[in-house]
Amino acid sequence: MKLLLKTISVEWKMNIRNFLNIFFSLIFPVMMLLLFGSMYGNEPSEYYQGYGSVDVSTAGYLCMIIAVSGLMTLPITLSQYREKKILKRYMATPIKPFDILLSQLVVNAGVTAVGSGLLIIIGIIVFDLKFYGNLLYVIPAVILIMLAIFSIGLLIAGIAPNSKAALAITYVIYFPMLFLSGATLPLDFMPDVVVTISKALPLTYGGELLNGLWVGGTPGTYLTERFVLLGVFVVFAGLSIKTFKWE
Amino acid sequence: MNVIEVKNLTKTYKDFKAVDDVSFTVEEGIIFGMLGPNGAGKTTTIECAAGLKKPDSGQVRILDMDALRVGKKLYDFVGVQLQETSYQDKIKVKELCDFFASMYENSSDYEPLLARFNLTAKKNNYMTQLSGGEKQKVAIILALIANPKVVFLDELTTGLDPQARREMWAYIKELKAEGRTVFMTTHYMEEAEFLCDQICLIDVGKIVITDTVEGVIEHAKLETEVRFKAGKEAADYLRGNLSEVRAVEYTEGFVKVFSEKEDIITDIILLLNGKHIAYKQIDIHRPGLEDAFLKLTGKAWRD
Ligand SMILES: Nc1ncnc2c1ncn2[C@@H]1O[C@H](COP(=O)(O)OP(=O)(O)OP(=O)(O)O)[C@@H](O)[C@H]1O
Ligand SMILES: [Mg+2]
Repeated sequence: MKLLLKTISVEWKMNIRNFLNIFFSLIFPVMMLLLFGSMYGNEPSEYYQGYGSVDVSTAGYLCMIIAVSGLMTLPITLSQYREKKILKRYMATPIKPFDILLSQLVVNAGVTAVGSGLLIIIGIIVFDLKFYGNLLYVIPAVILIMLAIFSIGLLIAGIAPNSKAALAITYVIYFPMLFLSGATLPLDFMPDVVVTISKALPLTYGGELLNGLWVGGTPGTYLTERFVLLGVFVVFAGLSIKTFKWE
Repeated sequence: MNVIEVKNLTKTYKDFKAVDDVSFTVEEGIIFGMLGPNGAGKTTTIECAAGLKKPDSGQVRILDMDALRVGKKLYDFVGVQLQETSYQDKIKVKELCDFFASMYENSSDYEPLLARFNLTAKKNNYMTQLSGGEKQKVAIILALIANPKVVFLDELTTGLDPQARREMWAYIKELKAEGRTVFMTTHYMEEAEFLCDQICLIDVGKIVITDTVEGVIEHAKLETEVRFKAGKEAADYLRGNLSEVRAVEYTEGFVKVFSEKEDIITDIILLLNGKHIAYKQIDIHRPGLEDAFLKLTGKAWRD
């Protein structure tokens, strides 16, 4: 346990010393918030059932932060560690392989939490962001979304033959998820074909669930979303444990 | 006591046999050197022996533990330096040492180790800011932080300048003096001759010979060549009276004697002195490990 904590603290430092991680997890989401927030404001609007534009977009930005950590940072870091034989070097130490994966998951969850906190604080200060939901519903939902998205990232990390391939795969998965899942751009404006595609993206379900809970919905309304996310987690986590290559 | 016992180790990559039925033992407290050309199977052997790679078949015992099954407990007693490793881009020397120190119950203090290798001034550098040689020094420090009884070193001195290499040699001798057992691979013959108590020659996945340096040279049945300046009558006389020589040649004022007998020079001098034949400028070329290696593997040496 002590060693796991030490591993987490080392990996935490590595993560936050990487400018790209900081940019995509902390700065970029805030930039999106400021950009769209300044365009549409956060006045209650008929169009958003009486909520402000920022109120109903924040859940999407949170999903975006989860996706950056889980679909980019996590697989890219792990596949680099394998390519550079860092994982192999750890094999010749008392650290358990599972602890290395766990520390990466924890660190990325931590960065997600910091990024989310920052986004919410700035949302409150600049746009008077309001939260209508119940934290007891929202926090488990965030955890469920993270489990689903991180397990996809873990599978990419496990099967990508090298870090270049991991990078390519993450780009191919991350950017469509970002723009087609409704996390950043509302699906209402999208053509039918995009809506159809979005149904195939796990992040869409995360966005729906979190957005609904944010404005006061209850988990009971989102059975499909929760079921899909749980399924994704079970399947992808299982696959990645089965297929993870250490070298 | 045998600290390392490898029995019938075989490892295949797809359909290529990289290590083919390799067996050897390493006694406690010695420096055991594995030599072989590129691709001979040294890294594969060392990684299987250190419990890092699953062989197709064979057994490995280290300190009476089944290295392939005992799991993580092995690495409380075994330190490893891999031929190829790099580190996290943004990790500092000190952080890396500190991290490794935290992994072991009775780790050795890394500050003296850093001082020993003149790295104290660099301890706040990122690993990416170190030179290749400095990285190798960190690699051996990391292998030793566990305070291991057995140390595996895969081409530790490759890429070091001659001075740094000699420093490393002195250090490896210290490891032995401390009672640790060292299993190392190398491409440098002088290194093997200087350090190793036992040598294991490996070629295309098979062991050619395991013996002391002298034993390996002897086994290769190489000739000593003695050359000196003298008249033709010296050559004729020696040809008629020396036993155990393959040839005596005479060219341009020089006599050359070829023999497998290591102290053939004594016989030559006795004969020449007895006959009052004048000679000067004696040169003896004794076969070294490199000659033995070339003969035994029938291969040109890499460097
Ligand atoms: N992962 C792998 N997949 C396929 N072939 C491999 C793999 N690793 C090693 N080999 C092959 O196995 C053989 C032995 O490799 P190994 O690394 O053990 O050699 P080595 O003696 O350490 O060589 P060097 O002196 O160059 O380090 C080589 O022919 C190599 O190409
Ligand atoms: Mg090698």
